[in-house]
Amino acid sequence: MTGEGRELAVTHLAYLDAGSGSLIVQAVVGGVAGVAVAAKLYWRRLVARFRRQPTDQG
Amino acid sequence: MALHDTTGLRAEPGSFRDPGNQVFHRGGEVLRGLDERSARDWRALAASDFFRDLLATGQVCGTEELFPTPVDVPWAAVLRHERIPFVSHPYEWSYGMLRDAALLHLEVLRAALAAGFTTKDGSAYNVQWRGARPVFIDVGSFEAARDGEPWAGYRQFCQTLLYPLLVQAHLGLDFQPFLRARVDGIEPDQMRRLFGGARRWRPGVFTHVHLHGAMQDRNAEASTSTVRAQLRAAGYSRELALATVRGLTKLVRRLDHRPGESHWSDYQRTCAYSVPDRQAKEAFVDRAVAVTGPGRVLDLGANDGRYARIAARHADHVVAVEQDPAVVDALYRALRDEGEERILPLVMDLADPSPGGGWRGVERAAFADRARADAVLALAVVHHLAIGRNVPLPAVLDQLAALTVTGGSLVVEFVHPDDPMARRLLANKPDGLFPDYRREVFESLLAARGRVVGRTELPSGTRTLYQVVVGG
Repeated sequence: MTGEGRELAVTHLAYLDAGSGSLIVQAVVGGVAGVAVAAKLYWRRLVARFRRQPTDQG
Repeated sequence: MALHDTTGLRAEPGSFRDPGNQVFHRGGEVLRGLDERSARDWRALAASDFFRDLLATGQVCGTEELFPTPVDVPWAAVLRHERIPFVSHPYEWSYGMLRDAALLHLEVLRAALAAGFTTKDGSAYNVQWRGARPVFIDVGSFEAARDGEPWAGYRQFCQTLLYPLLVQAHLGLDFQPFLRARVDGIEPDQMRRLFGGARRWRPGVFTHVHLHGAMQDRNAEASTSTVRAQLRAAGYSRELALATVRGLTKLVRRLDHRPGESHWSDYQRTCAYSVPDRQAKEAFVDRAVAVTGPGRVLDLGANDGRYARIAARHADHVVAVEQDPAVVDALYRALRDEGEERILPLVMDLADPSPGGGWRGVERAAFADRARADAVLALAVVHHLAIGRNVPLPAVLDQLAALTVTGGSLVVEFVHPDDPMARRLLANKPDGLFPDYRREVFESLLAARGRVVGRTELPSGTRTLYQVVVGG
């Protein structure tokens, strides 16, 4: 199952702090398909921000 | 640790960052204790074909599980590793060595990813040497890959392997001082400052340095678990992880920089011994190492490795230390191309040997704590330390004796004050600064530290070789 569910976020933490930026940049390094993944990630973040706003105010 | 007294186990001070597994020494053995989860990872790994292949080619250090699991240790499983002859640190390697270590790490990771595994980290310290062959030693680093997750070791790989290579290949700066000063390597932020302006367009710099640093800044608030979930949701796949490894491999291959010619890289030619001198010296060294028997030989001031090779005829392994990175790099490439697995070339200034580093200064052991050898060669070295670096002659000999095991051989050359090379060094110093730099003084100092069992005058008459049984 894929999705942005919080249950996925807690499945595993490595002993090493991989660095959030260091994880994302690897997508970009992985070529055209990777850039698309990074773009999708940022797009979803953007959409999520706009979606949240009305409920935040309400 | 309490384990120390009751079981004869000694914890390896450099192995504590991953709580799931830890390296111990017992007698002459190197053991690795695994907790429940790491033991499960190990058994999956041991059953995999890719790991068997890496073991068979010697790319990963030999490893086997102890059966039955010892009961006197707090671990779910215990592994025994093949012993690496001499533990070295990345800041003691030449450029070519660091590059080959990076390529090995990437190859191990590629093979792992293709088989559904990954490595938890990406440190240069995961690699050691069997002579001129790199070996991946961190067997505890393998675990099952989780779909949709980038490599957790990428940042560490950049900081301890890729960035030092970029610094040397693109800027011409020796990388060793950077790694020696910082156990975690060079931060992206520091790299961005070094690679401003047009330098940002050099191969690998824009993405791995600038974009990487910018992404770190922009995501400083986001936790890695959130970002992992977001990447997975956006469709990050194992194919992408493999593409990243391919890209890194291609980049590192491109960084085939060769340190330029230096004063020392010409030494053997310009400061050549006469043929009779060289032959006498070679014969003396050969005999001295032969009678000492197998074990470790430390060649201090190894230059082009001529005497290290002679020593390797009789020794188990030879550590060839030389100050000039370009000379060590040339020696490494030659040894590597010959497939030599018993001579390890290292970069180090004898007047400034590697100190202890990392946590409490013991995580990375100091050179003096690692290097004791059955035979120590100090050929054409003493005058450089005593005259060139102003180290008092007794202190030079104390250090040479301290590096030799009791009963081992010190093979040392004394260059007389009237030798052309010694005169050249003395010409740069005020007259009368070294009144004790005389053969009689040198011989009495030697006699105070051991038994002189061999002595030969080179035919040119301005150099004498000694073999001393230290403490004998």
